[in-house]
Amino acid sequence: MNGRKSFGGGGGRGKSSTTQDKGKDGQRRPMFRRRKVCKFCSDKIDDINYKDIKLLMPFVPERAKVLPRRISGTCALHQRKLRTAIMRARQLALIPYTTE
Amino acid sequence: MSRKYELVYVVSPDATDNQVADLHTQVEAIIQRLGGQLEKTDNWGRRKLAYDIGRHKEGTYVLEVINGGGELMKEIDRRLKVTDLVIRHLTVRVDEEQGVVDRTRARRTEISRRRRTARGLTPDRQPGEGQRGEPDDDRDDRFEMGGEEHR
Repeated sequence: MNGRKSFGGGGGRGKSSTTQDKGKDGQRRPMFRRRKVCKFCSDKIDDINYKDIKLLMPFVPERAKVLPRRISGTCALHQRKLRTAIMRARQLALIPYTTE
Repeated sequence: MSRKYELVYVVSPDATDNQVADLHTQVEAIIQRLGGQLEKTDNWGRRKLAYDIGRHKEGTYVLEVINGGGELMKEIDRRLKVTDLVIRHLTVRVDEEQGVVDRTRARRTEISRRRRTARGLTPDRQPGEGQRGEPDDDRDDRFEMGGEEHR
């Protein structure tokens, strides 16, 4: 990584729309980025259950890792719950640990 | 004091339906013997496993919701561990978590009702009322991830 990240600190919460990029290839990047919102907060999903694979799968990308918060925009509380749910689902072979 | 547990176990694909049923009655017997209650049972049927367990690629999933104490779960756990037919099992205590979920949900509806009455509306949302954000607002940027960092 060559320091192109335009996200600020604070756990990389995803800065709201106007992130002006100062990097060398700033031209290619879009000026506006929509603020990321936590899916579970906005959809009011209280119960993140390990049995609900349809809910979890979007947060387990191809390599079967847990999608980081800075990308998904999930809030800390829900990311924590999501993580336990994914780990439980993995034990039961509902979700893979890795892919080849 | 009774607690609520969820037990999921994966039965080997070689097992016949009878054997699966048999296993269920065994679990039920333990619950009965140690003074618990079987609240709900659910057979998910045969599913593909996300990864191979031993030489198996498939398994039959069974879910049981049990009211009972820790000793009971310990016994079930021990029994399932020695049963060869069961290739994987997981017990999770759910009562506390469920309580938290119910409380947040109750609080949320209560707050929304209060706000709505303060605005002079009916406490509950009528069907077809209110549009949440722009229609396409929450749809697109949730999962098209990765773009920013790894390009």
